[in-house]
Amino acid sequence: MLHAVPPAKPTPTASRGGRIAHRDTAVERALVQLDGALAPWRERVRTAAADGASLRRPESRWLVEIPDVGPTCEVLLADRLLFDLQPGEREAMLAWVRASQDDSGAWLDVHARPDLSLTALAYWALAQAGDHRGSEPMLKAVRVVHALGGAQRANFEVRLWLAMAGLIEWTWLPAIPSELFLLPPQVPMSPARFSPWARGVLTPYLLIARAPARLHLADVSELLLRRQGETLVAPRLTRPGLAGDLLQAFDRGVKLSRKLPRGPLPQLAQRHALRWLDALQQDHGGWFSTRPTLLSLIALRVMGARTDDPRIRRGLDYLRRARGRVPSPGTDAIHVAQGSGAQPLAITAPLLATGLEDRDIAPLLRAQLQDPGPWQSRADAPAGGWPTEPGARSHLDLDATLGALGALSTLPPEHPAAAPAWAASRRATAVMLAMQEGSGAFARFERGEADVFLQRLPWTDADLLAYGRPDDAVHVRLTAAVLQRLAATGLRTEDDRVQRGIDFLARTVGCGSDDVPLPTACAVAGAAGALLPEDHPLRRGLERRIRARQREDGSFGSLHDTTIALGALVDLGHACVQAQRAARHLLGAIDRDAEAFVRGRATHDGGPGLSPDTLDPTSAARHGAAALRRYAALAAQVTDLRS
Amino acid sequence: MKPIHAHYDVVIVGAGLAGCATARALVQADPHATRRILLVDRHPGVQPRFSGEWIHPRGAAVLDALGFCEPLRKAGAVDVDGFAAFENADAAYVDLAYAEIEGERPRGLSVHHKVLVRTIRGELAREGRVEMIEGVAAAELRRDNTGRFCGIMLEASDGTTFEVACDLVIAADGKGSTVRKLAQIPDARETIGFTAGVEVRNATLPAPNYAHVMLGGWGPVLAYPIHREPDGTIITRISFDLPRELPVKGEAIKQYLLRAFVPFIPSPLSEQVAAAILARKGPLEMAPTVELPAPTAVLPGLALVGDAAGCSHPITASGMTMGLRDAETLGEQARRRADAPAGEPWLDDEALRRYRVEHDRYVPTRQALASAIYEAFRGETEGARAIRRALFDYWQSGPTARRRSMALLSCAERRPSVFLSEYLRTAGHALNVSLIPKHAAHYPVADRVRHARGAAKLARDKLGLVANVVWAQLRPSWMSSSPAPMANRGRIAVGFGRAAGLAPVTQHVATLAPPAGATAADVVAVAQ
Repeated sequence: MLHAVPPAKPTPTASRGGRIAHRDTAVERALVQLDGALAPWRERVRTAAADGASLRRPESRWLVEIPDVGPTCEVLLADRLLFDLQPGEREAMLAWVRASQDDSGAWLDVHARPDLSLTALAYWALAQAGDHRGSEPMLKAVRVVHALGGAQRANFEVRLWLAMAGLIEWTWLPAIPSELFLLPPQVPMSPARFSPWARGVLTPYLLIARAPARLHLADVSELLLRRQGETLVAPRLTRPGLAGDLLQAFDRGVKLSRKLPRGPLPQLAQRHALRWLDALQQDHGGWFSTRPTLLSLIALRVMGARTDDPRIRRGLDYLRRARGRVPSPGTDAIHVAQGSGAQPLAITAPLLATGLEDRDIAPLLRAQLQDPGPWQSRADAPAGGWPTEPGARSHLDLDATLGALGALSTLPPEHPAAAPAWAASRRATAVMLAMQEGSGAFARFERGEADVFLQRLPWTDADLLAYGRPDDAVHVRLTAAVLQRLAATGLRTEDDRVQRGIDFLARTVGCGSDDVPLPTACAVAGAAGALLPEDHPLRRGLERRIRARQREDGSFGSLHDTTIALGALVDLGHACVQAQRAARHLLGAIDRDAEAFVRGRATHDGGPGLSPDTLDPTSAARHGAAALRRYAALAAQVTDLRS
Repeated sequence: MKPIHAHYDVVIVGAGLAGCATARALVQADPHATRRILLVDRHPGVQPRFSGEWIHPRGAAVLDALGFCEPLRKAGAVDVDGFAAFENADAAYVDLAYAEIEGERPRGLSVHHKVLVRTIRGELAREGRVEMIEGVAAAELRRDNTGRFCGIMLEASDGTTFEVACDLVIAADGKGSTVRKLAQIPDARETIGFTAGVEVRNATLPAPNYAHVMLGGWGPVLAYPIHREPDGTIITRISFDLPRELPVKGEAIKQYLLRAFVPFIPSPLSEQVAAAILARKGPLEMAPTVELPAPTAVLPGLALVGDAAGCSHPITASGMTMGLRDAETLGEQARRRADAPAGEPWLDDEALRRYRVEHDRYVPTRQALASAIYEAFRGETEGARAIRRALFDYWQSGPTARRRSMALLSCAERRPSVFLSEYLRTAGHALNVSLIPKHAAHYPVADRVRHARGAAKLARDKLGLVANVVWAQLRPSWMSSSPAPMANRGRIAVGFGRAAGLAPVTQHVATLAPPAGATAADVVAVAQ
């Protein structure tokens, strides 16, 4: 025996995606076990979808969208202006912030690296709540902040909070000429060309900076690094070099010019930005995601809106829905954390697909985009596809679209909802094709999101304007996933759009380089397996690279990496010895502890803005189930694995 | 079953629509009933594979003239009104009605292929003027010493052979014509894909009695009524255009259709199609789609009709109409020679030349249109997609545009000026839609230029095709030479050599005079 099979008879499931039968095989037992681990998570998604903003019930929220402590800390700070948090809520959030502190005193990002901005924000939130600043954790946090360059070197968001608190000058923030907001959208410097997240942040920033806003927050000037203990070390807003110096001079010029009479333009720009805020509040109450929502609420308050203003209330409700109970690291305690979004379809839809039920279909179909949105500025397609989360009526998200399409594709053709699902699929297919960039890559939110004109200026914060880079791993994986989906709808490399996508993958991933991360290689292998002949250099190169990553025990590293690598080998059409070893490794791991597959820290990359990664604990289980099912179907190896 | 006579005026190989229609046309051209016509087919019943079922008004008029229409209607044929073209399943369809074509029969005919063949064969049998033998195939062709075809050896399914002499062999045995191969007429036949078909009972068609062309998936999906049962139930044919390299085979094709094609069909038809696919027991009906640039349509003593004389993708549904036009044209030539003196072939070389001249005028138009529309409807390149958008844009611009296009598509119009003007208008619309997007508010200039370049490239690439069509219409009839004997004579020698009681091959070849146009090398090759 390669592994011990649990003596209990497998529990049959009625799930549509699973289609698990009673056949007594190791693979099918493993699938039953994985499905058992996934089922509670699916229920959490369903509960969250059905349950409004309640935090009364434990586990009422699904928490994979929690990125780091950043949004939680900002919500705690903003409550000085919004007056929304209940005492219990606040305490639960503070408890999570405290519990998340690393032994070093730092707060870590999702990749477990000390993060200056997170540490500064967390310290501030705790100080605001009255935590004793002389306590060891707080002292450690200050030391970390100083070691990393002081709070003035933190990201734009932290500096904005510092400026609003009056701890630093507004001049330490980049100057965005308000006149930019009056430019027509087709002008490259127009904010309409920023990525949607950047637009969502910078529009309220313009209003906040023009007011300027002033919040009465705890004084945390100890976080700022001072020269010889007196003068604050001013941050450099531009990158070193001549271009940076010139831009710095320009920045100062803009700031000086603000003191001169500029006619009606600033007021016009302000009104324009305010209209933009009004127009872009989504059906779910938020603005794109948590951070743009928080800043928009602050901007509205700064512009005079009261806390009972319907816009404010809806925005606060959105923030509350995006908040959830989260297990404390290393303890059994359950705290509350602010997520970056309420229900990311890119994660929830694939999870539901593992056991899609009739009650899941209607919400999924309702969530698709019905109205025109800013993503159509440069994408020639009618409304369709799915947004990042339900209720975002004008923000397309191709990642979420792929997730929803994957879920709907598990519907049997005779299902009553098949026709609306097909209609949604064909609209989404048209949208996907329209989102292809000139390079052959596919954009996630808007075409041109990764190539913003103003990003080329040597600003330190310039990267915030764009969503990644045109050829980064996020866009490579997204492109591969889109191509794989298009292949499933019958498109082939004879279609020039598919060929351009393949050319992009070949250019970025290359056929010979070995430094491609395993998740990227596996994602591209999925597209290559679906579209390219076996002897294609890209396909052969990927296969070689994936094979080379296998370890002696059959794994490819973590459980998550092993599941995606097995899936990639199957996608490439191989039920080879290496695939068999990976499958055996997974079967053994499932047999030992299937719950481990939903406890991992697999990240879902591609989150917008300052928290680019979110956790997706179910990823390993989902990919594992899919890979094992495909592997068994491909090679009919089930019998071999039993012996 | 053996032929009754040793000599026939005409032997028609292939008893499908083109063969039967040609037989009936020849019968009508022989008012004195003095001609002997033999019609043979390799299939004892009807051909098992599904085939053409849609007949444009131009073809239906021929069927009317041949007296087949009424029996076909009684057998379940459906009068059809035109095409409903869907750019995508969510868009309103473009109504391309036959009734808008001036001076044309307002309705076409659609009929289940097996019903069609069974009915018209029955009609011919009932009339008794044509001797018909099923279950025999052409095995060899005979030529006389001038190179003219003068007989055919037929082979039954049990292997028995019998030979008949004739003045004319008509090949109506389809795109893979055996007779064409035996006559060694070179062709550039290419399989470009496959068509899979299913039948749906009482399908909910958005436009009843129309052929629906639905785009958006990998290839076009066609849906059209093919049969009306006595109780009023309508059977609808759904055909799927599949790629040449099928991604899956066998039973998995059903899943492929459900995944890649059915979602692009408007609801509720899509559910009905899915149910029909799932309910189908055994493999789906499939047939290859073939591109066969028109080969030489006539040789002395031999004429090709229907798909044997050239075929293209079925997207324009013009194959049956072309076969009927061939039958009509041959019938006209036969009528002109109805009183030909005894001892002369009924359809002599001049009559065949006139048939060829006429045939060569309408076939290139049909093939060019089918090829261009198929490429546009599949939309695999920027240019093709631009042309597709342009076509719909053009059709939506007004009834005149639809009427002119429909006249061309239904084989009712062949004036070069109309063809040329339609080409130019479509190209103009292609540039227009490339430069002005439909949904994007601020479409990047680079994308517009790329689309426009693609459209211009495709338009440029099709110039040769357009010129060919225009020239086919303008070419003086005297430029079409008389039917010429073939270059390769090997089959002649073998044919004669295997004929019972004839001299050995080499001796017989030595007695043959080299046919006109044959080279010394041909003769040497034959002798060897």
